[in-house]
Amino acid sequence: MDSLIAKADAIAPLAQNRKGKQKSKEKEKKSDSTLQSVAKRTSVPRSLQNLPVPDNVPKHSHIANRKLRTLLHRQSEHNARSKTLLDDADMLLMDEAGKIEVEGEMERTWRTTQADITAAAGQEAARGRKEFKLDGGPYQCRYTRNGRHLAIVGRKGHVATFDWQTGTLHSELQLQETCRDITFLHDHSFYAVAQKKHVFIYDRDGVEIHKLKAHIEPTRLEFLPYHWLLASIGNAGYLKYQDTSTGELLVEHRTKLGACNAMTQNVHNAVIYLGHQNGCVTLWTPNLPHPAVQLLAHLGPVVDVSVDPSNGGRYMATAGRDGTVKVWDCRNWKGAVRDWTVRGTGVTELEWSARGFLATANGGQVNIYTPPTVHTTVNTRAPPALYITHPIPHRPLSSIRFAPFQDVLTIGHAAGLSSILVPGAGQPNYDSTEADPFENKKARREREVRGLLDKVKPDMITLDPEFVGSLAPPSKLTTETTFDGKPSVETPFARLPRLERLKVSGHADETEEMDEDDAADDGEDKAEKKRLKEKRKMRGRNKSLKRYLRRQRANVIDPRTVAIRAKLEKQQEEKRKARLAKEGEDDGAQQPSALDRFRRK
Amino acid sequence: MKVSVLQHAPETHLPTRPGDPTPTFRNLDPLMHPFSRARERTRALNAAKMERMFAKPFIDSLEGHIDAVEVLARLPDSLTTIASGSWDGGILVHNLSTREQIVKLPQAHKGKVSGLCFATNERLLSCGVDRNVKLWNVGGDVSDIPLNVFPGKYAFNSIDHHGSDPLFATASNLVQIWDETKSAPISDLTFPTSSETITAVRFNLSESSVLASIGSDRTFTLYDIRTGKAERRVIMQMQSNALAWSPTFPTTVLLASEDHNLYTFDVRHLTTPSHIYKAHVAAVMSCDWSPTGLEFVSGGWDRTVRIWKEGQGHTPEVYHTKRMQRVSSSIFSADARFVITGSDDGNVRIWKAKAHDKLGVITARERAAIEYRESLKQRWKMDAEVNKVTRTRHLPKAVYKAGKLKHTMLEAQRVKDERRRKHTRAGETNPKPERKKVVIAEQT
Repeated sequence: MDSLIAKADAIAPLAQNRKGKQKSKEKEKKSDSTLQSVAKRTSVPRSLQNLPVPDNVPKHSHIANRKLRTLLHRQSEHNARSKTLLDDADMLLMDEAGKIEVEGEMERTWRTTQADITAAAGQEAARGRKEFKLDGGPYQCRYTRNGRHLAIVGRKGHVATFDWQTGTLHSELQLQETCRDITFLHDHSFYAVAQKKHVFIYDRDGVEIHKLKAHIEPTRLEFLPYHWLLASIGNAGYLKYQDTSTGELLVEHRTKLGACNAMTQNVHNAVIYLGHQNGCVTLWTPNLPHPAVQLLAHLGPVVDVSVDPSNGGRYMATAGRDGTVKVWDCRNWKGAVRDWTVRGTGVTELEWSARGFLATANGGQVNIYTPPTVHTTVNTRAPPALYITHPIPHRPLSSIRFAPFQDVLTIGHAAGLSSILVPGAGQPNYDSTEADPFENKKARREREVRGLLDKVKPDMITLDPEFVGSLAPPSKLTTETTFDGKPSVETPFARLPRLERLKVSGHADETEEMDEDDAADDGEDKAEKKRLKEKRKMRGRNKSLKRYLRRQRANVIDPRTVAIRAKLEKQQEEKRKARLAKEGEDDGAQQPSALDRFRRK
Repeated sequence: MKVSVLQHAPETHLPTRPGDPTPTFRNLDPLMHPFSRARERTRALNAAKMERMFAKPFIDSLEGHIDAVEVLARLPDSLTTIASGSWDGGILVHNLSTREQIVKLPQAHKGKVSGLCFATNERLLSCGVDRNVKLWNVGGDVSDIPLNVFPGKYAFNSIDHHGSDPLFATASNLVQIWDETKSAPISDLTFPTSSETITAVRFNLSESSVLASIGSDRTFTLYDIRTGKAERRVIMQMQSNALAWSPTFPTTVLLASEDHNLYTFDVRHLTTPSHIYKAHVAAVMSCDWSPTGLEFVSGGWDRTVRIWKEGQGHTPEVYHTKRMQRVSSSIFSADARFVITGSDDGNVRIWKAKAHDKLGVITARERAAIEYRESLKQRWKMDAEVNKVTRTRHLPKAVYKAGKLKHTMLEAQRVKDERRRKHTRAGETNPKPERKKVVIAEQT
């Protein structure tokens, strides 16, 4: 035992210990104890440290202005650094997404029923599984952006808005007329209902605030939260944008494609997607009078469109009356990525969740598919692997909506609404500056004001939202001119000759020039055209360089012209020499002469 | 089969006690923040507009002079005390914070007061066209009788006190160095062969024995009182009206020129100015550096005051009012937050150095918001719309038209030169850089 203790060196002799301590003290002194005591409290956070710059930072070496170049370089370095630091911020994300894990090879996720999921879910989460039994026809529903409030509308005119988590009812109306769609505006304090003839806006308590007479027979509504625009499409086929902050009708686009029943927005670029009766899907922005993209998606009417928000709106799903669902890649529109036929008849409803889960509802069935398989291309027309399925006996299923930041899918149908749990569908971590399910009254007011201040101009809606601040527009005050193949020179407007200035500003009288160059296009007479052409040919080979020189033939000795002339002469001389040499050789080879013997070798 | 469903635990997302703030969460995933760039641009545009909305630079006007204000001087150690001298021969000492007149000397000189500067112990030196230099006591018991009078032979144009010694320099037909205790100048400094009127003289702020002067012969001259002679001088295209030494770069001197421009020179290389500042549309009458050395103010014959950033030769901040006439003197306050100008209408005006600055107590949140707006403006200054808002200034019609006319004339001159060059033999008339045109000759 003693030997063991000795081996472990548990109790060292006192003297040795002291010696060791003294030694270590000396070492500490060398390492500057003051510095160490201070270092703990003075360490800079990682975001402020001078981190090494990633390699693939653009150098901006093409920019001549040194100050600007340095500035741009510093900015791009900073951007690259902050991108790397973004990864660290993932640690701060608190909640985890839900999921279903299979344990054996033979297990299938789609075999789990809602009862299983509800039993396995936590108490709080299980409250998402609900059934609302309501009269008044097939129901439409819509969540607020923070997923806290739900607005429902029945075909017969029953409207209700409520906080679905606490069960507080905000308003309930019986409008006694056909209602086709409902949407919240910027938050739950206002909502718009697409009624029989017009769109009406109600406040939280159900008081009618506005009647939008310009929106006639609306069928679908969308609200663009960052632009404060309410878009509606109706039976007449007019897409109308109403600015809800100023109240003006911003623009109305005539689609010329008849009544439309399918509309959705891409949350990342605020482009409106419409599905039409002739099988077309069109993409609209307020600043274009025609669709930005038009695509023949189905043979037969398009019944629903949805855009995947999980990867920047890259994928779109469409459902047609022909019973097919297609997934499209919105970057190239080269045919569908994947398409399959759904079982059953009637209208297919589609919806993507925030994490890319695709839900389809048709017949009496709700099917949910998960991301990687939904987006992968296959040769067959087989449906992607099913994640969860849920039967609902109350046909038709008229709308499906995922609740933001929850694993909940709400289905509107003929007998009311039912919400089911879809583990993994919801984005687990919200950002309080954008949408906070738990925000209080004060935060809501604050966000409303901030949203108004940060309202993006409607004419900035484009297919690519990142164009803002990315490209310098070409200056109107310069013209690009090239002189005999040298790199183009930007001449400022003020230094251009008068004619050029007029041309740039669009005031030049170019009729004369037209006569010279393009008269042939204008005149019908072909003979005349031919004659002109020949005449031009007769003058000799008309090179642009020569034309330039001819113009410079004024009594001005310009060093550039002189240089060009010299160069041209040199070229001609070389050409002549080459030709002579070639001819000489050729002659020699072809016709041997008696005088060849005198030729110097 | 394992099933887990997302649930937000209320205890982490709701305030623990009533009255606590609701906890906030961030998710930096870019997909969670659509239109972040477009929204930031909107914020930048709003910030730029807010800057213009809050731009109320004029604070107050200090009255009391009967005639045009010719000179202003700042008490070196004080934030509030300034002195102003007028064409009517009166001198006033103002308190900027209370806007009271501390000292009134209505008959200090006969004719205009042409120079003012503070000596040590709150004493004021003034010189006038009545050929006298007078020393006044402006702190403690104030009286109308000067402490001392130094009679001279010529009308004085400018005066400046030595940084530490009881010496001062005056400018008349020659530069004279005086001792406070002696009634006659102790030395005369002139450039040999010079027969000009010296209009301004200033001691260097760190090398205090070095003097600079400008004269009516379009000259800028450097003197050293240790050697007692003029060291170097340059002759320029146009006469200078005012000069100021930089408080932070001892070798840098700023000249306000008759040709509408301001020039900074490095006194080690007098052949070319180190920078040209172009915006005035008439002669620049006065200039003064901010104590930080990063900005300077200039007042012009065109009835505007301009505040320049050091090293940025265009688009300065411009101040004007309907009633302000030709600005003959301008100084910065000691805390670099205010600008004081004296003009021909007899008023001394106080302006903010930053037009949109908020005076008074600023809370930490407000300060953070202001800084955020500043950085937004900086980041989006390349954006055409933001840039337009920050750049645009309303100018009086006369100034605007004069600027237009000036531009047209200069452009015509340039085009003419270019054509002339094109029609002469190559290399005979090379274009001359703007900075090389300023100085005609350098003499030692």
